[in-house]
Amino acid sequence: MKRREFIKLSAAGCAALGLMELQGRGLFRPAVSQGATAGATPQYLPGSLGAKEVPSVCEMCFWRCPIVGKVKDGKLVKIEGNPKSPSNGPRVCARGNSGVQLVYDPDRMKYPMKRIGARGEGKWAKISWDEALDEIVHNMQKVKKEYGPNAIAYFDHGASAEFMREIFKATGTENYTNEPAFFQCVGPVAVAYLNTAGYLVSGTRQYIDMGNAKVILLVGSHIGENVHVSHVREFVAGLNKGAKLIVVDPRFSAPANKADIYLPIRPGTDTALLLSWINYVIQKNLYDKEFVRDHCNGFEKLRESVKPYTIEWAAKICDLNPNEMRKAIELLAKHRPNVAIHPGRHSTWYGKEDVGRHQALAILNGLMGAVAVPGGIYFQTPVKPGKAKGMEVEVEENTPAISLKTEYPYAEALGTPTANIIKATLTGKPYPIKLWGINGVNILQTIPNPYDTMEAIKKLDFIFCSEMLAGETAIWSDIILPDATYLERYDAIHTYDGLTPYLTIRQPVVDAMFETRSPYWVAHQLARKMNINVFPYEKEQDYLNLQLQPLGLSIEKLNAQGGILTFPSKPYRSRKELKLPTDSGKYELYVEDFAKNKLDPLPKFITVTAPPKGYMRLVYGRVPMHTFSRTMNNLWLHNEMPENELWLNDEVAAKIGIKDGDIVVMENQDGKKSNPVKVKVTAGMRPDAAFLPHGFGSKSPLLTKAYNKGASDQFMITRYENDPYVGSSSHRTSFIRLIKDGKTLDIPEIRPLPPEIPRFEIKKTA
Amino acid sequence: MSQYAMVIDLNRCVGCHACALACRAEWQVPVPYHRNWVKRLGPDKTPEGLSYTFWPGLCNHCDHPVCVGVCPADKVVREFKNPKTGEVKKMQIAATYKDPFTGVVLIEKDRCIGCGNCVAACPYGARYLNEQLDEPKADKCTFCIERIAHGEIPACVKTCIVDARIFGDLSDKKSEVYKLVHEKGAKRLSSKEVSIGPNIYYLGKKKDISLLFTKCAPHERKWEKVSSLPPGRREMLLAAIKGLPTFI
Repeated sequence: MKRREFIKLSAAGCAALGLMELQGRGLFRPAVSQGATAGATPQYLPGSLGAKEVPSVCEMCFWRCPIVGKVKDGKLVKIEGNPKSPSNGPRVCARGNSGVQLVYDPDRMKYPMKRIGARGEGKWAKISWDEALDEIVHNMQKVKKEYGPNAIAYFDHGASAEFMREIFKATGTENYTNEPAFFQCVGPVAVAYLNTAGYLVSGTRQYIDMGNAKVILLVGSHIGENVHVSHVREFVAGLNKGAKLIVVDPRFSAPANKADIYLPIRPGTDTALLLSWINYVIQKNLYDKEFVRDHCNGFEKLRESVKPYTIEWAAKICDLNPNEMRKAIELLAKHRPNVAIHPGRHSTWYGKEDVGRHQALAILNGLMGAVAVPGGIYFQTPVKPGKAKGMEVEVEENTPAISLKTEYPYAEALGTPTANIIKATLTGKPYPIKLWGINGVNILQTIPNPYDTMEAIKKLDFIFCSEMLAGETAIWSDIILPDATYLERYDAIHTYDGLTPYLTIRQPVVDAMFETRSPYWVAHQLARKMNINVFPYEKEQDYLNLQLQPLGLSIEKLNAQGGILTFPSKPYRSRKELKLPTDSGKYELYVEDFAKNKLDPLPKFITVTAPPKGYMRLVYGRVPMHTFSRTMNNLWLHNEMPENELWLNDEVAAKIGIKDGDIVVMENQDGKKSNPVKVKVTAGMRPDAAFLPHGFGSKSPLLTKAYNKGASDQFMITRYENDPYVGSSSHRTSFIRLIKDGKTLDIPEIRPLPPEIPRFEIKKTA
Repeated sequence: MSQYAMVIDLNRCVGCHACALACRAEWQVPVPYHRNWVKRLGPDKTPEGLSYTFWPGLCNHCDHPVCVGVCPADKVVREFKNPKTGEVKKMQIAATYKDPFTGVVLIEKDRCIGCGNCVAACPYGARYLNEQLDEPKADKCTFCIERIAHGEIPACVKTCIVDARIFGDLSDKKSEVYKLVHEKGAKRLSSKEVSIGPNIYYLGKKKDISLLFTKCAPHERKWEKVSSLPPGRREMLLAAIKGLPTFI
């Protein structure tokens, strides 16, 4: 009996019994008082005081903030930001703070496991590392021999996956580096800016100087809900210095709350708004004439092509107030060139128009002259460590007669579109794919139509993954390799090339637990077993020291100076010295190369089909406490947000009789149903869409905390289109209606659709 | 006399929960209890417009802490020392008390009898009774006074990714908190009914403050319902300490 329960009982009734229990437990044994620290020895100082501090690099998301791990008695007690870091200083976000619980999560993969039941059934046997690696090597060699190298595919993401990529490259397959990051996230924005500005303005990093902007424009970006510490810091610093904020979003997001002008746009119509703004600034002569004359190509063609897109036209399409639209663009133009038009990050929204939408953002940026000036997009300052020989495999050009990349002209550089790998695996066309390796990514919670992905997995001869915690993809694997966490291993050197460049390294804060191994160790072993000439260094420290050598450093020396080496940056250029890294050296308002590839050289308005009657569009996004689907099982983060809520417009809710906190099931256009999920009724959501935070509703029982908590957005996204440039998959092209108490509810149409926008038609199956 | 205080700037806050997690890590606060929390508010309509804001909350280290008054532990005399001047003062305290020199409300854990009175009394829900211990004890934010004693700043302040938390001494006119409270109009989260002088202040747009106050300002004097311990139980508990037989 707990003592509190005892106290609740009547004192007279059980005093004697209670007394015995209290005495037995030694009630009122002295406990540490709050505030008492006098005379304590360092080891016994309260909290994290007196802990040993080890500098390292975070990987709770991909942003990689420098951190220090605080260790007491060999146990990691706390993580703080590295005070020497110019980007985050002593700060880490909620996830960064919770890294402690990743290390000590009882659900961690502890040793290599082999499937003993059917795929996806979840029955496992413990095996040795040797056995696991031998099996992987055997299957890779067998598949290569039987079906050729391209029958092997690798899905990878993040720091943990980089070494193993070399092993896959060495097999001769072209289906590697197919990072879901490109094909499910930044592919379209990367292509748009690579061809307009000449460099990756938004990819792993974003080079947008919000901290010095006079106006910040966010189109669908919810900074603060998607947290990358230095990025959020720059955003808030800008606002604090007086920057005006314009937010375009169907949902009243956390940054929308901070906006001076908020435009609750109809989902799928962002390009219409951007094109009308481009037309408006040209018609009203609000653009930067000097920049356009000296540094841009294709202005006349642009001017002609955007003529039909008036504010009035767009207002109807976007369901926005035309006066607010004008007010916003005039505010932006008034403060040019020091304006931050955010390039966006997650860009795979609607398929066909994704590149065009980001191209329009880039064009608007050029018209404002917001290039290499404070507040605009700026130049990277690369930090180059030395090389350690033999860390990369030399790959011979091996494009097969039929390639999964050639369908999309801009895929080549980024990898093989993941949708194509899945299709080829499922159909055996144009050639069979029989083996998948998966590292650092839970593809079932990342790539649209996970039902197809599961079917594809059933056709494989072999599938293995490398995991710290076994999500959906892991339970569909044949072998699971247990990864050391980022806090238990060395990795590659990490450089930051933004406004305050620096170099740092990830290194173990505590010893690796159980039988987990570092990604380098695994790749090193595989290379040996496969006779691949790569990774000649026994230990990570060896190549890291070689890479640090030209800078006059070693791991030891770097640690002695706080784990970080900073460099000066050169983000801005005067107009005279400005030369862009495009072929012409100019900012391409019209992209010749797109035309050469039979694609639109200028952005056009491409209609995105609206929800069918009775449905609304499913949109999703991030919450600051979680990353992808990989932190939901973290004890602390789970406690902050165990499940997601479906944001529903208050008027819609009233009409269909749903109250805040009601439980509903979502059903999408293909009849797929979700887990039950709680509804958040709010005035901050458009009536034609519902919003669901991403990554919840885990279907893996091996994640004991996250299993079945909330609903998965990804399992509702069964309909997608591929963009014609890079082949990325759209994620906002699925529609839902709601089921409550077994009754299917039709979503009323509160904001009527203009005739220019067609509705999606649901195919009736017999 | 000093009064330590904190100002939270909702214009800067993005509701990321880093503060809550840094506190949990620093003090090993067990799940599901909180010393420090973020409650997400809205988006809701307010008279000033639509608002989506947050309540980053913690112990308010009130001017008139009701938790102190309802603590039934025997009073003892303790000596307090002014960290700035070295001045010494003797005071009678129960298990929970307000430090006369810093204004920080603290708990002497070894004398806390785990009755939960203070937890029930706090109108902000800032205290919890840790029932995962063999002997439950009340616990809450200390303003990281232990860290301050070692030249550190509170864990939540240190980790705040946008520097939305400002900590300092409100009695010091040169301090940032003084300026934010007296010149920028930072507000205490209290109401007409419940006004016990909280020392956490909030800055923000009208609509955000409006939503925060509508949803989170206490309107009920909970401590008046706390009747200390039932008759006899206190004696029983005290007897248990001494190992004496008890007959009631």
